[in-house]
Amino acid sequence: MVKNVSTTRKVRTPASELFWRWCFIALLLCTCVIVLVPLLNLLALSLSDPSRVSEVRGLTVFPKGFSLINYKVLLANPLFMRSILNSVYITVVGTSLNLLVTSMAAFALTRPKLPFKRFFMVLIIVVMILEPALVTEYLVVKKIGLMNSLWAVILYKAVNVYYLIILMRYFEEIPPSLVEAAQVDGASNMTVLRSIVLPLSKPALATLGLFYGVFHWNEYFRASIYLTDPMKYPLQLILRQFVVLDDTASLIGSGALFSYDEAARLSYSALQASTIVVAILPVLIVYPLILKYYARGVMEGGVKE
Amino acid sequence: MAELSKRKDWTLLILLTPALIYFLVYHLIPIAGMVMAFQDYRFVGKSPFVGLKHFKMLFASPAFLQVLVNTLIISFMKIVLFFPLPIIFALMLNEVRTSFLRKFIQSTTYLPHFLSWVVIAGIWIAFLSPSSGGVNQLRGIFGLPPRDYMTDKSAIRWVLFASETWRSLGWDSIIYLAALTSISPSLYESADLDGAGALQKMRFITLPELLPTMVTVFILNMGFFLNAGFDQVFNMMNDSVISVVDILDTYVYRIGLLNMQYSFSTAASLFKGAIGLVLILAAHQGSRKITGKGLW
Repeated sequence: MVKNVSTTRKVRTPASELFWRWCFIALLLCTCVIVLVPLLNLLALSLSDPSRVSEVRGLTVFPKGFSLINYKVLLANPLFMRSILNSVYITVVGTSLNLLVTSMAAFALTRPKLPFKRFFMVLIIVVMILEPALVTEYLVVKKIGLMNSLWAVILYKAVNVYYLIILMRYFEEIPPSLVEAAQVDGASNMTVLRSIVLPLSKPALATLGLFYGVFHWNEYFRASIYLTDPMKYPLQLILRQFVVLDDTASLIGSGALFSYDEAARLSYSALQASTIVVAILPVLIVYPLILKYYARGVMEGGVKE
Repeated sequence: MAELSKRKDWTLLILLTPALIYFLVYHLIPIAGMVMAFQDYRFVGKSPFVGLKHFKMLFASPAFLQVLVNTLIISFMKIVLFFPLPIIFALMLNEVRTSFLRKFIQSTTYLPHFLSWVVIAGIWIAFLSPSSGGVNQLRGIFGLPPRDYMTDKSAIRWVLFASETWRSLGWDSIIYLAALTSISPSLYESADLDGAGALQKMRFITLPELLPTMVTVFILNMGFFLNAGFDQVFNMMNDSVISVVDILDTYVYRIGLLNMQYSFSTAASLFKGAIGLVLILAAHQGSRKITGKGLW
């Protein structure tokens, strides 16, 4: 009986609706192709055999031949390797600091006992809606002696106000009785935060950590204005000079990289493609986690509402 | 006990201190420093007040007016023209019932959102290259001559629009997809019983249910109208097209940090900040009035 109903339904709906559904799928898959082809094309270019690079056209998605020479050359470049280390350092230290400072502030701001609470809440809104001038921020950073220091880059956006508010909303959901019970036992604020609030907020912290992490990995502009020594540059800045500004000398010309015959054998565009691939790789590695924590969280949140 | 719990806990301020120091150094002091828009900045000694001198220079400068026009045009394209696209995308995706396909489409189209504009600019420069790019290979197939979009003044704003769409179409559709999945299926079932067609269901159920989300997104975006996307423009512009893509933020950077006209650049920032503040407050009020939810 039940089966009958469902089959009659299935028979009733199709025709035009099914046709449209397939049209939609086709269009959506076209979007996917448009997203993927430029990425796969660069991957193909970077992996192709140097002698066959000229065969790689704009829509080619599979490498012609196979060679890792581009990556070998990049990894042998001290400036490039150094920039990867700098980026990893900025990302790891920056994200840890972000999470520490943001969660401490979110905890304090969600306690009813915080003195001047209203004042601090207004302060947060002020920070959110008033954007300082680039020049004045630059002059302050210069004045406090952070020029040419990775700390100038790490500390910029030490607290993202939007993320702070998200975390505050999350902390507010934690039952106050849990916190109070610990405080009656004489636990300090830091202990309560560390042993009760943070363990209960792991999904939120993971999401924010991933977003902060991607932000740091992708940051290039503050690095470009605050860092003067190329050996301190993060990968994105090297990438900008080498690929976006097409300043091939920035990477190739710096120091003893590889012999001239090797350089002559390689194509710049393949080297540039390899640089882009290296810059994307860490994002790709954490991307499944991002999908798991964020996208799903949003979807489920939407369903629940 | 009740009295004890009401007492302020001053040790909480210790937890707040690192964030406060950050706000002070990277936000509050620089904001206070914007007073130099009314001064002639001196590296040593006191900077004399000059009133509105820099603002008068700003509005008398044809370059600045062009920058303002560029900002408005580019923002219009990226906020108003782009606006329906993620909605259409979400509506189509919502019809995909095969879980594998749906996941594949989602994970593919969300990805570009996490790439930096440096990377995206690199990808697009390669993809649009007149000699080796995919787009021009496609043009070749149709017998069209190659075109260098990146240095073409009539094309570059559309390159900005297209690359913004490439990056944000999937990601920006999430919020609509979430709203769509939260529509009660019983609404559609009863419409089915009434014999409603797909178009009628779209018009009388889906769109009205999506409206609050659309209004919120649109209004909140309007609050950031003067931004127009610094990182994108900064990485995609070049000398051939600078006159049509130079926006407020790239202008502020160039005259401030490259030409070192500190006070003049700060005046431009202050102008942008003041208008931006009005827009954000209006967006906040508008959103609160219409949907009950503001920016904060």
